[in-house]
Order: sequence, then structure tokens, then C-alpha cells
Amino acid sequence: MTGVMTTPLLLAAVPIMGAVLGFVVWSQPDKLKIWSVFVTVLSLLAVIGTSEQLTVPTGGLLLLYLFPLAACVSLLGQPVHQEHRLAWVMTLLFLGLGLGVLTSQNVVGQIALVVLLGLITFILYRHRNSLWSASWWGIGTYGFGTLCAVLATIADPFVSSVASLLVCAILLPLVPFHGGYVIALTRLPGSLPSFIVLLLPAIGLHGLAALMPTVPDVMILPLTILALVGALYGAAKALAQSRVPLLLAYSSLSFFSILWWFVVISQTVIPQTAVFLGAVALVTSGLLLAWQVVRTRYGDDVDPRTISGLAGTMPQFAVLLTLLALAAMGMPPFGVFAGFMGMLFTSPLTSSAALLIIVIAWLAASWYILDMAQRLLFGQQRSDLRHEDLRRSEFASLLMVVLIAIALGVAPDSLFGIEHQSPHIVTIMESVSWN
Amino acid sequence: MSIVILVPLLPLLSALIVLVGDEGSRHQRAKIAAYPIGAAFLGAIVTLWYVATHGPITIRFYDPASLATMVFPMGFYIDRLSAVMMTLISGVGTIVYTYSVGNMFQDHHARRYLSLMGFTVFVLLCMVSSANLMMLFLFWQALSYMLYILAHNHAHAPTLAGAFRTFTLLRVGDVAFLSGIVLAYQLYGTLEFNTLFARAAELPIMLTPLPGIEIGGPTAIALLLFIGAMSKSAQFPLHIWLPSSLYAPTPMHALLHAGIINAGGFLINRLAPLYGLSPTALHVAFAVGALTVVFGAAMMLAQNDIKKTLGFSTIAQMGYMIMECGLGAYALAVFHLIAHGLFKGTVFLNCGNVIHNARQEPEFPHTHHPREEEGFSRLTWLTGLIATLVIPLLILLVMHDILSIPLLESQGTVIFLFFIWITSSQAILTLTRLRAVASWKVAFTMLLTLIFVVFVYLFAAESFTAFLYPNPAEVEFYFQAAALPDGLFSTIVVMITLLIVMSWSYLYMRAHGKSMRMPDWVEGLRIRLYVLFMNRLYADGIYEVLGRLVTRGLHRILKRDAGWSK
Repeated sequence: MTGVMTTPLLLAAVPIMGAVLGFVVWSQPDKLKIWSVFVTVLSLLAVIGTSEQLTVPTGGLLLLYLFPLAACVSLLGQPVHQEHRLAWVMTLLFLGLGLGVLTSQNVVGQIALVVLLGLITFILYRHRNSLWSASWWGIGTYGFGTLCAVLATIADPFVSSVASLLVCAILLPLVPFHGGYVIALTRLPGSLPSFIVLLLPAIGLHGLAALMPTVPDVMILPLTILALVGALYGAAKALAQSRVPLLLAYSSLSFFSILWWFVVISQTVIPQTAVFLGAVALVTSGLLLAWQVVRTRYGDDVDPRTISGLAGTMPQFAVLLTLLALAAMGMPPFGVFAGFMGMLFTSPLTSSAALLIIVIAWLAASWYILDMAQRLLFGQQRSDLRHEDLRRSEFASLLMVVLIAIALGVAPDSLFGIEHQSPHIVTIMESVSWN
Repeated sequence: MSIVILVPLLPLLSALIVLVGDEGSRHQRAKIAAYPIGAAFLGAIVTLWYVATHGPITIRFYDPASLATMVFPMGFYIDRLSAVMMTLISGVGTIVYTYSVGNMFQDHHARRYLSLMGFTVFVLLCMVSSANLMMLFLFWQALSYMLYILAHNHAHAPTLAGAFRTFTLLRVGDVAFLSGIVLAYQLYGTLEFNTLFARAAELPIMLTPLPGIEIGGPTAIALLLFIGAMSKSAQFPLHIWLPSSLYAPTPMHALLHAGIINAGGFLINRLAPLYGLSPTALHVAFAVGALTVVFGAAMMLAQNDIKKTLGFSTIAQMGYMIMECGLGAYALAVFHLIAHGLFKGTVFLNCGNVIHNARQEPEFPHTHHPREEEGFSRLTWLTGLIATLVIPLLILLVMHDILSIPLLESQGTVIFLFFIWITSSQAILTLTRLRAVASWKVAFTMLLTLIFVVFVYLFAAESFTAFLYPNPAEVEFYFQAAALPDGLFSTIVVMITLLIVMSWSYLYMRAHGKSMRMPDWVEGLRIRLYVLFMNRLYADGIYEVLGRLVTRGLHRILKRDAGWSK
């Protein structure tokens, strides 16, 4: 086998083997967690070590580096508990499958995708709740996604393209196929939500990069409208939420819809798109981990309004949550802002209405994210509650997310393979239509 | 001259000195941290001298031709405007910080506030010395968050609503600013100040935002950026964050009212050549500024809370500043913001002394004031009349007929004269409170005040204009661009003249013990307006209702999805 074929297998094998070997220490959760973190570090080293031999995906190698990092922080941020063991092992398995999908150019990648979607469907089925009928919506969406992924592999080119587009819309959530994503983010156990928030959209973008040049022109307008509706819908839903995981799920839906809009109108994926996706996903992952910190201390379904004033009692947590919230609102110098501006500068803007919708969705994030952070951090301190600031692993996990988010915003362009591009200048001396 | 980057970095060092360390050495560290801020002030003075004698300084850590570096393009462009602003900010920052070290000695949040103060000065200095529009925007946004975190007491639950409102309103301005930047880059392919101005002047691009509506590229960009300026400088109707952000320690307000709030005026000055290409944007700025002056001053007079009164006073002053920009008198606006910053900073810092004295002396403020002596001094009033009505008229005639300055053709000169007249009238009307003292001393003080105001305006403002904009043709170009239609300009001039004369007549009659007969509807209107302005035009309530309506509407529209929330 050539290096191009063996390297993806090697990258996928490291975490998958790690997951299998994890069963050796299954009865000792603390050792299993340490082992899992170690495997993610090994994966990162493997990606760095083999990056020269890989076919560089559209959008650069950034997402490949981010996969093991996101898995690592997701595992670090979890408390040691035997109930989380399956989630840790599945995180490693998903990491291996994700690396396989992104690096394989052949049928191996498509099989890995089918397995990944099938596994998510299975886990959602396993964690279904008879009191919560929407579980079936998620199971159905990912089941449908699995079917489409199979069709994309075996059907004729036209059906394959349509099926691939549907898979992309499920992975990188696009209204009306976003239900599965929202449910997966809010219902999957342990470290999985904070990892799949990067994994699934990144795979979706990878698929979209290959697909967009072949999408017929007739599809552009409907996709643009769906993306704009999704941006507004996600923002509106996030504004209406009182539960943090749902707020974060809809917030990321809104941002990913903005990404859809950009990819559809420019019909390409550029490195700035990958920066935007990576930053949005990682920051959402960080906020989910921060919420996990709160859940660990105050219970699963705690109302943020009842535990106000954490800024005084948990200063480390407050500082890191504030920085994550700023990043999620699209403030500089974090990657969300850098990616967003990069996309706006390079997009062929022809519609002021579309720009208005996009900036409204962007503005709304300042409203609901700040509201969430303010409810948790400020206001009256609760002296009747026991407060404990971040433990070392939690601190390391959140700090890593913040540092990566900053790096995505300010790091030299060469790190992500962003080439110098000549700016798009309007030199038409007559009237420019912009409506 | 790369060493100039130390000027913004030194306050950051101060912030770190305060922030890092144990609680035992906190006060000692706070005192040490005053030195880097002071050094930044000295550095700013040296920079001012350097750019005045050697020309602008440009330092870039990015490639202006690369799109990839445009999302984080760090660099410095320091011209006379930047250097003046840096001197003001670092000077006010040094005074306020030094004062705060003692003032907040026993405050539990001293470490947070003092380090935030250093960080805010750093952000402001970077903002005013930005090499391009993008870097300016980066620090502009950082300032939005600094205002949220600095100007509120987040441990006090009732003030959190005000903090939230502050940030969301400032973000509205940020979003408009962002749209302006994106449009500028899309149309002209650069965010470098001078290149942008040159291309905007060369390429006559027209946009069609709505069918049948055409708008020039510079106008669209200038208007979007102006919304950003409106939010930071608390212009109507984005003003409501300022009066509701008065719960932080008093020195923070000194910094806010003397430094941060001037950001809008600075932005318009920095982009003066772009605004000069768009008379529409300048006229909008004039209208918004004028409305803010009227509403801000009226609301200030009707407040019964001293901090709110000061807040609305700042809003009105910022309205003046924006109005001056809208009239093309950019340098006058900077002159105004410096004067206002120093004045308001002093007032806020003195607030602490008043409060301290009140705590020391239980009977302070004294409740038993001797009744003000009623009386009427013909001498005082005659002097006032001559000073504010007769002398200005003579000056006008002299300038027009003897010096042959074409007042009717030059709105800029009339604007300058008008600001002199209004300021001196205001000062002298205040002096008429000394009406009971019929002495030559009072009359002499009045005339001295008039001379002082006239000289300050004529020489200081003119010299300052020549310093900031050395090319007289450029100044004239801005005045020409901002010129209002002759009829409108004359109407405004006549209306303000009538207002000053009527104010004189009203005060004269009241001082003379006479009353003016007013129709009942006028009296009723006066009361209704008083109630309206006392309640701050119900703007806070309107915003609250709007927010509630949006939230309720969203819940109603999205209730079909409620199942996912379970």
C-alpha cells in the first residue's frame, strides 16, 4: 500500500486501538480517563508527524489538528465517574472514525462515515427517554443520515450527490435537518456532546467542499434561503431558551447557518471557513464543558438563575467562562471573529438584505450569550450553596479551549495555510446594484 | 521612533502590576503601577512634540496587501490628532488612576477596578493610534466590553439590567461599524486610512440598497460608521446606556466621561476626509447632534439625581461635539471634547471629596441656607446686555464691513462666531445670578468673562485648528461639504438669536419682579414637557417594552418547538 493510503489508516487506528485497549482498565475509571487523554495526545502527535504525507483537505489541515485537541479537552473536562466510561471510549472511537473520514480519499472514508452515523443513532437510541418524545426525532434524523451515507456510496452519481448533500445538511446542521444535531448535543452522554460539536460539522464541511462545485445553479437559491432562515431561526430559538445546552445548540446552529450561507454563495470552501467552523465548534465545546462544571456541582438540570454570583465564589471559572462567552459572541481577538471577518471580506456580497440578516444573527449572539453568562456570574451571591472553584483537569480543559480560540484569531496566516489573496475591489464607475 | 509603542503598552504593564500578586502587597503594587501610566503620559507629550515637528509616525506589523492579515492587523499611525488624543487619554488616565489609588484604598474591588482602569487606558491608546480601520474596530469592540464591565456594579443585582442594556446597545453600534468596514473593504479593497480616502475620492461608486434609492459609497460607509459613533458617544436614541451606568466607583465615571465617551468624536475626526466626501452623512450627524443637545440638556434640567444630571449633561455635551463635526468644524469638536473631558473629569473626581466631607461632617450639606437676597441691579443687567447682545453685533458689523470677511458666504466663520456667542451668553447669564450686587466689580467680571471666552475661542480654537489641520484648504473643504442649504442655515441662525434674546427678556423681567402672561395651553405644555423630560422621554421604558415584545413574540412564534426544550 502507498503512503497516501496507509497514513489515514494509521491515523484512524491510533484512537480506535486506544479505545479497544481502554477495556483493559475498564474497572478503574480514573485510569481509563488518563489513558483516553493520553491516546488523544498520541493522535495529535500522529497527525503532526504524518501531516506531510497527507492529502491536504480543502480548508487546510486545521480541522485535523483540532480533532484530537477537541477530544482531549472534552475528556479532561469530565469528572471521573463510572457512568462516563462508555462516553470516553466512544470519544476515542469517534475520533478515529473522524480522522478516517477526513483523511481517506476512497471508500474507507465513506464506510467510516456510515459507521459513525450508525453509532450515533445507536447511542441516541440507547439513551432515549419515554418522557421525551423528541428523542425519536434525533434517532430518525441520524438513521436517515446513515441511509443517505450508504446511498451516497452505492447509488448512481445523481442520487449519490443528492444523498451526499443531505448527509452534509445533517452533519453541518442546516434547517430543516438540524433536529438530530440539537438532540445529539443535548442528549448524548458525558464527553460526547463537547466533541461531536466539532466532529460532525467538520466532516459536513469536508463533504461540502467536495460537493459544492458540482451543485447545480438551481439549488443555490433554495440553499441560500435555508441558510439565512437557519441563521435567524437559530438565533431566535437561542434567545427563547432558558436551558444552557439548548441555547448553545441553537447558537451554534445559527453560526453554522452563516457558514452555509457563505459556502453556498461563494461555492467554495476557503481556509477562513475552516477557521470559523473550528472556532465556533471549539468555543461551543468549551461552553458545554463550562456548563458541565456547573452540572457537576449543582445538579443536572439546574436553573442558571438560582446559582447567580459565581464571579465572587469561583473566580477562575468566572474568568474562563467570560473569555469563552466573549469568543462565542464574536468578539476579537478570538477565532470566531477572525473567521467571520475573513469570510465577509472574501464573500461576493451582492445582497444588503442577506448581510443584514447575517449581522442580526451575529448581534443576537451578544444578547443571549451575555444573558447566560451574566445570570451565572453576576448578581447576588448565594451563601447557602457550597462553592468549589475549578479542579486542575477542568481548569486545564477550559484554558486550552481559550488559548486555541485566541490562537485561531491571531496566529500567523501560514499556520492555517491561508495564502495571500488579492482583495475583491469594485472598480465599476457606474451604479453598483446591491440589493 | 518605534519606541512610541511603549506609550500604549505602559498602562497595560500597570494593569498587570495591580493584577498579579498577593493581597498583602496590593496597595503597594497599586502605588507602583501609577508610574508606568505617568510615564505613558510623558511619552505621549514627547510623541506630540515629535509628530508636530517631524510628521506622522507609521509602524506596521502586518502586510497591508494581504487579506489574511487583515483580520488582526496590528500597527500604529500617529499623526497630530492621535498624539493629541493620546496626551489627553494618558493625562486623564494618570490623574484618575493616582486619585483612585487613595480613593479606593478600602474598596474590596480595588484590584479589579484599578487593573481594569489600566487596561482601559491601554485599549483607548491603541484605538486612537490605530494604523487602519480594522485595528480601530478591534479596540472599539474591546471598549464596548470594558464599558460593560467597568461602569457597573455587577454584585448589585438591580443594576445588572442597566449593564446588559449598555452592552447590547453598544453592540448595535459595533454591528453597524462592522457593516461599514465590510462595505469599505468590498468597495475599495483596503482598510488603510489614507488609501481608503484616496480610493473613495477617486471611484464614484453608487449603491442601490433599495429599488429606486441610490446612495454613494462614501455616504453608505460614513453613515454605518456614524451609528457606531452614536452608540459610543451616547447620541439620541442610543443614549440610554449612559445614565443607567452610574453605579461604579466615582473615579471610573471620571474616566468614562472624560475619556471613553469621546470615541465617537475621535472616529469622525479620524475619518474626516471620508465624511468630507459625504454631505449627507455630515447633515445626519448635525441633526442627530442637535437633537441630542436639545433632549440631553432638557432632561438634565429636569433630573433630581445628581449623577443622572451629570450623565445627561455629558450626553448634551457629546451632542455638541457631534454637531460640530456635522458642521465641518472637526478641530472645534476635538477642542470641545478636550475641554469637556477635563471639566467633567474634575467634577466627577470632586464628587468623591463632597461625599467624603458629607461623611465627615454630619451637617454637610448645610440645610439652613440664608434666603437669597432679592434685588435688581441696573448696572449688572446693562453690562450683561452690552456684553452679550451689543458687542457681538458690533463684532459682526466690524468683521463684515470693515474687515471684509464674507459672513453670508462662509458658514464656517458664522459657526465659529455663534459658538463664541452662545458660550459667552451662557457664562454671562450665569453671572446675572449676582444681580443683587450692584458693583463695578461684577460688571468688570462680566466683561472679563466675555473677553476671555472670545479670546479662547478665537485664538485657541483657531490655533488648534491650524495645528490639527495645517492645510487651510482642507478646513475650508470640510466646511463646504458640511454647508447646509442657505435657507435652513439662516433659519437656524435666526432661531438661536431669537432664543437668546427671549431668554434675556424673560430673565430680565423675572429679575425685575415682573411676570409674563402665558396662555393656559402654554403653561400646560410646559408641565407636560417637564414630566416628559423628567421621565427621560420614557426611553428606558420603551426599550424595555420592545425587548419584552421581541422575547414574547419569539416564544409565541417558536412554541411549536417547545417539545425540544423538555
